[in-house]
Amino acid sequence: MSKKKNQVSRRQFLNYSLTGLGGFMAAGILIPNLRFAVDPVLKAAGDAGDLTNVSLSVDDITEEPLRVDWDVEQVDGWYESEVNRTAWVFKDENGDIQAFSPICTHLGCFVNWEGSEDHPNEFFCPCHNGRYEKDGTNIPGTPPLEPLHVYEHKVEDGMLFLGDPRPREEA
Amino acid sequence: MLQKLYDWIDDRVDVTPIWRDIADHEVPEHVNPAHHFSAFVYCFGGLTFFVVVIQILSGMFLTMYYVPDIENAWESVYYLQTQVAHGQIVRGMHHWGASVVIVMLLLHTMRVFFQGAYKKPRELNWMVGVLIFFVMLGLGFTGYLLPWDNKAYFATQVGLEIAEQVPFIGTYLKTLLAGDPTIVGAQTLTRFFAIHVFFLPGALFGLLAAHFILIRRQGIAGPL
Amino acid sequence: MKRGKGMKYVGDSRVNAEKTSQIPKDYSEYPGRTEAFWPNFLLKEWLVGSVFLIGFLSVTIAAPSPLEGLADPTDAAYIPLPDWYFLFLYELLKYDFASGPYILFGILVLPGLAFGALLLAPFLDNGPGRRPATRPVAVGMMILGLSATMWLTYESAAAVDWKQIAEDNKPIPESEQMEVDMDDPGYDVYANSCLSCHGDSLEGGAAGPALIGTEYSGEEIKDIAVNGVGDMPADMFDGSDEELDDLVEFILSVNEQANE
Repeated sequence: MSKKKNQVSRRQFLNYSLTGLGGFMAAGILIPNLRFAVDPVLKAAGDAGDLTNVSLSVDDITEEPLRVDWDVEQVDGWYESEVNRTAWVFKDENGDIQAFSPICTHLGCFVNWEGSEDHPNEFFCPCHNGRYEKDGTNIPGTPPLEPLHVYEHKVEDGMLFLGDPRPREEA
Repeated sequence: MLQKLYDWIDDRVDVTPIWRDIADHEVPEHVNPAHHFSAFVYCFGGLTFFVVVIQILSGMFLTMYYVPDIENAWESVYYLQTQVAHGQIVRGMHHWGASVVIVMLLLHTMRVFFQGAYKKPRELNWMVGVLIFFVMLGLGFTGYLLPWDNKAYFATQVGLEIAEQVPFIGTYLKTLLAGDPTIVGAQTLTRFFAIHVFFLPGALFGLLAAHFILIRRQGIAGPL
Repeated sequence: MKRGKGMKYVGDSRVNAEKTSQIPKDYSEYPGRTEAFWPNFLLKEWLVGSVFLIGFLSVTIAAPSPLEGLADPTDAAYIPLPDWYFLFLYELLKYDFASGPYILFGILVLPGLAFGALLLAPFLDNGPGRRPATRPVAVGMMILGLSATMWLTYESAAAVDWKQIAEDNKPIPESEQMEVDMDDPGYDVYANSCLSCHGDSLEGGAAGPALIGTEYSGEEIKDIAVNGVGDMPADMFDGSDEELDDLVEFILSVNEQANE
């Protein structure tokens, strides 16, 4: 009987209570703070699928790549800014619209369509003579290691909408 | 006068044992460069602490001008360095001191390592020291971004891309550090500022205290 | 410290009323030439500290801390470099066995092993001997790791033209930044042919030098725009002669404005 009675001594009970209460106070202080700190991780990813009207009529898109500039609203917490974007837009032989990012996949210089007279019908990067086929694939033996990135796009009411550039899947 | 003031306080609070405890310990011959010149290797730990003190002080004063905001951070650094009297020295202390701390820390670590001074019973103090080293690297990484110049911005982007490569938690880790999944911007700067100025120094103070208490308790390792 | 009965306190406090000696202990009975930390040894330490401080302050005065231009996320041509004490990690990731499909080896496994071993060194090297000669494995690993780190740092730093980077990235405060006249007929030509390399206010970039402060004459600029110079390829400009005149006038006018 007496053994059972002493299973939890008075001192042990007080120790447990103290630990529990301390844990409660620590949790009470830390939970709001930690949730506050990890908020960006848990926030639903911004609408990455938001495509912007680049004020270009689909009818104006030819087989010749055309440089298109537009601005997107970038929201970084409380800081909103306009970020400029550029794309090379054209119709491929199947009549599908293609929109390539002009950022060279080598070191990020600006790639031009037929930027060099020696290489017609190719995208050309003046920094280190990087070259890409018209379909955006990098020409082996030139510095770039992967194809030009591709913008998500859609057509609505005859206007072209562009989204974010994505690396192309291995072709 | 000063002595009277001291006695007055000592009568009431008995402060003498507190500072005597710090002051009153013997320094053995083998660590004293006055007796053996090669003992200068024992200075590196003390010099590391000295530079850390310089870092803390110069850092505190730098925040009198610095603003962790992407529109003004760079301008404030440019201003304090070029317009404020002795600004170049204060920022120089913090900037070059960051490198000197790493060098001194490395030399101190090498001294302890090659002397085998981390062996029983000093294992714990070695581990505390290595943690201090990690905290210092963290301070270096977060502090690099604060001037918000090109170097800072792009180096941080690379660092965050590396964090993103970690399997499973990489994306979360990057977002947690940068404050945004894709943008290195306003939220990244404030986060790095908080980590650099409050979180890591807090950890550093605790670790330094543990380091020194353990040294006092265990004494310096004997001669080889 | 005495405990129990017989202790004297200051008033009703718990402060010990018995005085401790303020005179340092005499360590002359200790083995060797032992001395007191305060003030004997500390004086020597602070002498070293003072010499160090003089050197350190001289550095801060002689070498202004570097500050590059305001961060420009659109400056895609910028080649990033970390602080020097992270260069070894940065360089490591360039090797084939630590990049591409093996990136985890480079960013997690290798640094993890190295730093983990450093943290747990007392338990990995737990023999009784302290002299380096009695623990060849631990010392060997450390020397290996240390030389690898130094080698990687050297490799990484040697490949960089530090002076060029500092030259290219001088800070320009906003107040002194050029307001480029975008209505100038030459600006359109500039934007089409030159902007991608020379920057949107002629400040230059990684692919091309700044055009502000150019020492070329109008005729020479015309020639360079058409035929290239140095690394710059030919035919960067391909428009009419009229446009070429506009372009040159624009570049020269911005330069004049900058010289005011």
